[in-house]
Amino acid sequence: MPWFAPDSFPRPVDRPILDAFDAVWDGLGRPGTWWTAAERLGIVDATRRAEPRGIGVEAIDLTTLDPAPAGGALSPLVHEVVYRVAVDAGRITADWAATAVDLLGPGPYTELVALVVQTVPVDRLCALLGRGLAPLPPPQPGDPTRQVPEGMGEGGAFVPWLVDGWDGPNVARALSYVPADNARRLQVVITMYSGGSRFDEMVWEHRALSRPQIELVAARTSAVNECFY
Amino acid sequence: MLLRASSSALGEDADLRGAVGDPASGVPHGDLLVAYAEAANRDPAAARALDAEMIAAVGEAGLVDAAVTVAVFNGLVRSADGIGIPLDEVMFRATGDARAALGIDDFAGAGNSQAG
Repeated sequence: MPWFAPDSFPRPVDRPILDAFDAVWDGLGRPGTWWTAAERLGIVDATRRAEPRGIGVEAIDLTTLDPAPAGGALSPLVHEVVYRVAVDAGRITADWAATAVDLLGPGPYTELVALVVQTVPVDRLCALLGRGLAPLPPPQPGDPTRQVPEGMGEGGAFVPWLVDGWDGPNVARALSYVPADNARRLQVVITMYSGGSRFDEMVWEHRALSRPQIELVAARTSAVNECFY
Repeated sequence: MLLRASSSALGEDADLRGAVGDPASGVPHGDLLVAYAEAANRDPAAARALDAEMIAAVGEAGLVDAAVTVAVFNGLVRSADGIGIPLDEVMFRATGDARAALGIDDFAGAGNSQAG
């Protein structure tokens, strides 16, 4: 089902981007590697509802939060982790991440991050272009596969990722612990940024803006979010 | 690094300080693009108030390009900070001077993304 038809946007958006968005939305409603479809959609909904807290509000100690789901909803622990990744990611520390990974497990934590980072670009583009947010897909039945991909290992990130035979940028393997979500996330990145094989080309002619203009917008976005990477 | 390299490839001379808010980026329409990026990150409604100015400067497709770039990097920064992606070694070595000059090494996320 096309969730992001071209004529649903008030301005023209490249078809490959919309196809990548449709793939993301289709995936949100399916059982994942570690979360059920209903849980995945709950994480996406929590991402959308997350709002910055006031200045001076102390961070919540994750170990004090109930890890059990409440009445079919997400647990307070999952809510807090979603909040931090969605609206306060620049202040994530290695210690905080280690606690979150320890409490949730590396698979559920990685999949949670994957869901946030697939949802945010889609919703942000819709908001910037004056299009309403897409409704979420209905949850499909089924269980998570709970399969750890082969070739995982420690590589300096907060979670294990693909190490066997890896020869590429770290950003591409960041979410390789959940390969289906990582593939959909990478398609979003490729269609919205580099156009795939053009990444190493310093002159881009496939975009309306020049590459320096795009890199300036990208760099300012990273700086506003205090992102070092 | 990509801003500087891509600018040089076009015979331009981008100033990396544009990335941290300095208005003199040396990139065509850089001031407006930085203003749009800041607004688009903080308040999409405020960014839409710049639509007409953006279209006059870079065209409607350019406006969409800027919006697309802000949107995708909002996912990328959360990937980097949420997973603690170490900066790739080649990038880490190539950007040392620029990071220090721009204060990027002082960003909150710097401690999570040292080269690995």
